[in-house]
Amino acid sequence: MPRLRDQLVSFIAALREAGVRISVAESIDAMNAVAAVGLERARMHEALAAALIKDEADRAIFDEAFNRFFAVPRAHRGEHPDQRGDQISAAAGRGRPGEDPSPRDDAPPRKAEQPREGALASNPNEKSSPSEAKPSKKTSAAHRDDAEGKDAGRDSDKVSGREERGHEDIRAESPTPGIDAARVARLRAIERMPFDRFSDLDYDEAREALAPLVRRFRIRLGRRLRLAKTGRIDFRRTIRAAMQRGGTLLDLNFRARRPRHVDLVILADISGSVRYAAQLMLELMAGARGCFRRVSSFVYVDHLAEADFENRHLVMTPALDPYARSDFGRVLGELWQRRAGLLTRSTIVVIMGDGRNNRLPARADVIREIARTCRAVVWLNPEDPARWGTGDSAIKQYAREVKAVVPSRNLRELQLALAAIA
Amino acid sequence: MQITHEQISEGLERALYVTNERVETAIFLALALEKPLLIEGPAGAGKTEVAKVLAEILHTELIRLQCYEGLDEARALYEWNYQKQLLRMQADEQQGIRWEELSEHIFSRDFLLERPLLKAITSPSRVVLLIDEVDKADEEFEAFLLELLSDFQVSVPELGTLKARERPVVILTSNRARELSEALRRRCLHLFIDFPGTEQERKIIELKVPELDAKLAAEAARFVGAIRKLGLRKPPSIAETLDWARSLVQLGVRELDTDAVRTALGVLLKHEDDRAKVESKASTLAPRRKSAT
Repeated sequence: MPRLRDQLVSFIAALREAGVRISVAESIDAMNAVAAVGLERARMHEALAAALIKDEADRAIFDEAFNRFFAVPRAHRGEHPDQRGDQISAAAGRGRPGEDPSPRDDAPPRKAEQPREGALASNPNEKSSPSEAKPSKKTSAAHRDDAEGKDAGRDSDKVSGREERGHEDIRAESPTPGIDAARVARLRAIERMPFDRFSDLDYDEAREALAPLVRRFRIRLGRRLRLAKTGRIDFRRTIRAAMQRGGTLLDLNFRARRPRHVDLVILADISGSVRYAAQLMLELMAGARGCFRRVSSFVYVDHLAEADFENRHLVMTPALDPYARSDFGRVLGELWQRRAGLLTRSTIVVIMGDGRNNRLPARADVIREIARTCRAVVWLNPEDPARWGTGDSAIKQYAREVKAVVPSRNLRELQLALAAIA
Repeated sequence: MQITHEQISEGLERALYVTNERVETAIFLALALEKPLLIEGPAGAGKTEVAKVLAEILHTELIRLQCYEGLDEARALYEWNYQKQLLRMQADEQQGIRWEELSEHIFSRDFLLERPLLKAITSPSRVVLLIDEVDKADEEFEAFLLELLSDFQVSVPELGTLKARERPVVILTSNRARELSEALRRRCLHLFIDFPGTEQERKIIELKVPELDAKLAAEAARFVGAIRKLGLRKPPSIAETLDWARSLVQLGVRELDTDAVRTALGVLLKHEDDRAKVESKASTLAPRRKSAT
């Protein structure tokens, strides 16, 4: 037994090395789990996974390490059930004994279908009884031609669907089975991916990830508005609370006035270097529009332009040339002169940009004036803080005048930063 | 009260819950190690169902706590029954009972409104406690759950600490609306339930909608599997697949051709965009092209 324990300990060490976070308590759980389920390979596999892997995204690492540490004995039938349960185990049964039994490299099920069905009837260990399996084999065989025709049709459908095919490819590489596991892992990865490594494809995916973020963001803001310590009495909730106390108004519930007296002015740099970050931020804020009294969005490169979202597409008036040389100093001047009406004591100015000004005048003095007039000026910088102030970056000059410069290198940081401001 | 792995497999089968080794092992461990089980996965993949089936297998009560934004201890744990306390005070006043005695009365268990968590802990027999959609609750509530999940005890200031006589079987589910804290994950066993594969879904349809022709069931499962991969806003859940299968029976569909697919699509898809997307591809997705006859 001590040998197994040692093996488990080094297995856990290997997982930790691969970046999976495992606490001591969890490793004890793992020992107990193995003690409880016994040494049958498939069960032990799942038991260890349940005890050690708390994030489906880590599952691939785990499976790989497990196969390395606990090799399949020669005589083992190589059953390896999982999400797609029976089918996988069937396909695994087909593999030569002693070989890594995992078809978990998991080509999209569409492609895996044929060998799976071949194996279905031939594998006596298959959980479903043969009588159950047979009709399905027949029907699926009957449809194989159909299915292939279908696939061909779909592929030709996809001439325009670059994005869609991109998804499929990622899914094919993904070691975790199932549709949603792969999707979740992808979205999580994109949330953490730095903006400066974005491609157009990533941007599309990030927008997909944005939808739930927007909802969460809105709920978060909304809740803070609804539950207030002072303000107007929320009649409905007060009465509801009083019902429990026999109608005595013991607790008063308040509601802040809504929308809150905050105007938001957003300035986002859409020049090449930071445009993804800027567009995602504008979209995120557009979703939370109702939580503020007035939101004015602007984008800039070398000029200021009004920004709006129509059908989730950024529309700007006048149109800007994204390849012009950024000139934030001029943009500030334009804002200060032409849009002074927007800048009041109840305005929060949010600026998104890297402050790289092509060595043109920074006009930090204008920012100082704006900061003096407005409630707050906050700068979100999608650049790595280590690079702030290097080269043509004027961020250090601006940083002195604004309330805070917040790093927002990826979606996650961006969302946290915005939630803190609002 | 030990339960074996085989008993669980049998129980799940008897409850018509089609599953796999992963789910069985996780449930078994949750029972054997007496640890909470955190189940994650897409909406409609059968997370909540696990708890229901488990209660059925153990022949015990299922106590359910539905989490939502703003859920607080008063709703989840306990609350004093003010009305009853007031009544009692008024009744006692007339008999001239002193305050010391009175306060002892009105802060006893009789005046406690047990909310799901307290109910699960004070229950004399083992129950299944389902904390549903824990990701919808606030972070503070999650922190509050930690004490409960590691020690199975809660403290009520007026009564002292209440410890579980029989540790409840705790199932938490999450749709990942929000990332759960590391601390919570650490205390739980973890299980990820994804949408079933075509074969598994066929089995589910055959078990739950036996009226549907076996051939049609296989086709339906294949079709649903295919449209889940289209990247819809809301991919159809298992329950919706079953509803769809039932509606196919009701409509007397014999063959799943393009028209048949179109007629009952509303059962499967709940977003107009999704519907348009699938309809545009219906001819390529439908297992059978519209028959010439």
